[in-house]
Amino acid sequence: MNGTPAILVERLVKRYPVVRGFRELVLRPFDRRTVTALDGIDLEVGRGRVFCLLGPNGAGKTTLLKILATLVLPDGGRALVEGHDVARKPGRAKAAVGFAVGDERSFYWRLTGRQNLEFFAALYGLRGGDRDRRVSELLRLAGLDEAADLRFNGYSTGMRQMLSFARALLADAAILLVDEPTRSLDPQAADRVRSFLRDELAGRQGKTVLWATHDLGEAADRADDIAVISRGRIRLSGPAASLAGGGRAALRRAYEQAVGDPVVADKSRGTP
Amino acid sequence: MGWGAAVPAAFLKRDLREALTYKFSFVSSVVGIFLSSATFYFVAKLVPPGAPSLGPFGGDYFSFAVVGVAFAGLLGMFQEGLASVVRGAQLSGTLEALLVTPLPVPAILFGSSLYSLLFQIIRTALHLGVALAFFGLSLGRIDLAGVAAVGLLTVVCFLSVGVLSASFILVYKTGNPFSWVLGTVSGLLGGVVFPIALLPSWIRWVSSLLPITYALDGMRKCLLASAPFHEVLPDVAALAAFDAVLLPLSLVAFRLAVRKAKKDGTLSHY
Repeated sequence: MNGTPAILVERLVKRYPVVRGFRELVLRPFDRRTVTALDGIDLEVGRGRVFCLLGPNGAGKTTLLKILATLVLPDGGRALVEGHDVARKPGRAKAAVGFAVGDERSFYWRLTGRQNLEFFAALYGLRGGDRDRRVSELLRLAGLDEAADLRFNGYSTGMRQMLSFARALLADAAILLVDEPTRSLDPQAADRVRSFLRDELAGRQGKTVLWATHDLGEAADRADDIAVISRGRIRLSGPAASLAGGGRAALRRAYEQAVGDPVVADKSRGTP
Repeated sequence: MGWGAAVPAAFLKRDLREALTYKFSFVSSVVGIFLSSATFYFVAKLVPPGAPSLGPFGGDYFSFAVVGVAFAGLLGMFQEGLASVVRGAQLSGTLEALLVTPLPVPAILFGSSLYSLLFQIIRTALHLGVALAFFGLSLGRIDLAGVAAVGLLTVVCFLSVGVLSASFILVYKTGNPFSWVLGTVSGLLGGVVFPIALLPSWIRWVSSLLPITYALDGMRKCLLASAPFHEVLPDVAALAAFDAVLLPLSLVAFRLAVRKAKKDGTLSHY
């Protein structure tokens, strides 16, 4: 298994049906229109790498992550995580990844951070002392040990994001999928999150991190590899050292050339 | 991976912890039960004991109505609880986080609705207990085999409708027709607060198509009229026939619904 990449995506296609109004349903009941979210994507993510999937809103980043997390079924091609096909062996594929669901509504707001993690830990098969130890360990790792027994609705946005990482790590999966983790965070909180993913999870724990972002600076500074995705296609990919070797400006030029749009926010610099 | 009892326990603990943060919900629920029993107690004074249509059920309107209302609430929860759970998780945003865990989707569905179902069972028992203790509910000699047979087949039947409802909600999000048709029509034509014998004959046939008719008929005969098992056999047979159709249908519908929602990418949409 060590020779295989952590994530392998081949000619992956996803088309969503277009929601139609009553008039269209009556006039053309059998006319099925779709919008293409992924248009034959190929991707390979090596073990222990931080791989940034960089692209504008609506590029197909979230769709790709959801397919890898088995929440969405692809229409063509295949996606393997740890060698398991997400469409054919969803149970095994799901066990191989931790998906940090970005939506802060995905927690129970009237429960504490610890109670939330205890509940999800049980769903991941952790029991008794093992569960309690794992939950405490992850709360400490996420810097939430002091806030562990406060209700989730009292957490800041940054704390909520850290708790979502803790939840994604409950099963200690080798691959972590994160979807725009620094969205709506203040600069300090965003930096804490970036360091946590880069230094703690990838650096110390050796996890593979597939990190969807539209933040160019984030990708340039923290990724081992970058793929630029736009309108459902990979436009550019390679090691960050070569794509962003000339700094953020070089990556910005390469990105604009690949995407054909003027740009993505470079939040870490505070410039668009 | 074997989950055993730990997963249902985790769901129960989660929901109990949440429920305890809402301090007055249990109190208002108990008060509601008391008021409902009191209402039917006084309404029953308008109905002379031994009315012919109440004959098969022990002859007392108060007992007839209390058993009907208590069990209709329970059956309604079995019928709509699963769909409510799916809808609630879609709206609250927790569905996606649940679906990325290794737990199979049916286990998530049943685990999530367990607390509501158990709570409704306790409410039903409390409803009957309050009616018995304070308002003179008159129970007959209860045939446990009959109660068990009618009860079990009824649970399977209404849970199957619940799974059908949840399947619909997974795909279409709102406008659940099972809830509307069965919920509304059952209230009127299922014999909840009056015997279906009072209905005009031209519409009474609709009652025979509703599972609640047989569930309440069988349960009332067992609890109120001291009916032996063979007297509830027609109800048991009808419920078994509903189960034979609805159970496999609901399982297939649920599998297809999950697949369609994953295909359309709308599993967690609301």
